[in-house]
Amino acid sequence: MSTFLVEFSQLLAVSFVAGAVGSLLGLGGGIIIVPIMTLFLHIDFRAAAGASLIAVIATSSGSAAAYVRDRLANIRVGMLLEILTALGAITGALLSGLFAAPLLFVVFALILMYSLVPTAQKIFFELRGKTPSHEATQSAASSRIALALKLEGSYFDPAQGRLIEYRLRRVPLGAGIMYIAGLASGMLGIGSGAFKVLAMDGVMGMPIKSSTATSNFMIGVTAAASAGIYFSRGDIDPFVAAPVALGVLAGSLFGARILPRIAGLGIRIAFIVVISVISVQMLLHGLGVGG
Amino acid sequence: MREEKMKSGQTRDSEPSQPVEKAVSLVLRSGVVLSAAIVCLGLALFLAKGSISGNTRIDATMPFPRSLATLLSGLVVLDPASVISLGLVTLIATPFARVAVSIVAFALGKDWRYVAITALVLGVLIAGLAIGKSLG
Repeated sequence: MSTFLVEFSQLLAVSFVAGAVGSLLGLGGGIIIVPIMTLFLHIDFRAAAGASLIAVIATSSGSAAAYVRDRLANIRVGMLLEILTALGAITGALLSGLFAAPLLFVVFALILMYSLVPTAQKIFFELRGKTPSHEATQSAASSRIALALKLEGSYFDPAQGRLIEYRLRRVPLGAGIMYIAGLASGMLGIGSGAFKVLAMDGVMGMPIKSSTATSNFMIGVTAAASAGIYFSRGDIDPFVAAPVALGVLAGSLFGARILPRIAGLGIRIAFIVVISVISVQMLLHGLGVGG
Repeated sequence: MREEKMKSGQTRDSEPSQPVEKAVSLVLRSGVVLSAAIVCLGLALFLAKGSISGNTRIDATMPFPRSLATLLSGLVVLDPASVISLGLVTLIATPFARVAVSIVAFALGKDWRYVAITALVLGVLIAGLAIGKSLG
């Protein structure tokens, strides 16, 4: 087989796995694809990021179609916060043209490590059986902004067999984190699902499953905001981006089928394991150790 | 196929599903299907033209368009890289279409606050394209 066909098949297979895992965790697949493409397949960082952005749009659109129809993704919350993620993405895409690749790796690793802390704390509390009584405090504490902008929602949880209702709080802080999520997305070619979930689940008090679904819904717009800049710069190579997008698309459809049947805690534990491994790899590479 | 399976599992929905949700879901799905089809067409064209030499690396296969003008002129001569890029551009355009359709859907629901919010999102997206174009 020619080198082209071997590399094409590798990219397709890797992208399928990344798409399935990413969709399951609300990560968009990008944070799995970029390290594998750069560390193992030796593809240029910006070409990897460009292909990843395309893949991220495919993941988001493919699985969000199902989440939106099932009312798991909150369209109002998504739309409002997309103003911030899109602005951040444009800033990030411009910055990525200025930064050297090792610096981008280090930034990538630090962002992932930072995003681990609050999620890990939360899981620790839940494992000890001390679930913070989220829903009780939530409606009382929900802000005027949340009321005025109808930042509320409900979805049916098959695992618990009941309708879960929620209303957001601390919207400005969440929106600020969304700008940073967009910045990371545009700079590193990732969906920044980790940061989006952190803002909604960790800060604004949205249930984890709605956060994950809404994050997936928002990722496409975030990535599209910077994709134009990558395209004009020549960083979207069709022969790299095509297998990545197709593989991720197939993988994401596979992952979207599984998500609604899995309980929230399991999702977050898997989320932490995957991100820890990847963040260490990225940091080592950025610092010039191994890789 | 998949849709029917999920619907039969939805015993929960007593309220009718809202037009915004329906429209957004439809746009997302059609955009993805259309772009995947175009990308596959381009790949088939590439393989049919038999232009892969023994050890061409995947990220150095052949020149590819980085502006809509070169993309369109490549399409005229059925350049495989341009056809694949058209599929990728269609994918990039899908979120734009999703936002545009949401504006209409919110307007039909007379949700003016969200019409404004969504229009702002579209404005930011267009600004991103314009910035990209000015760089290229």
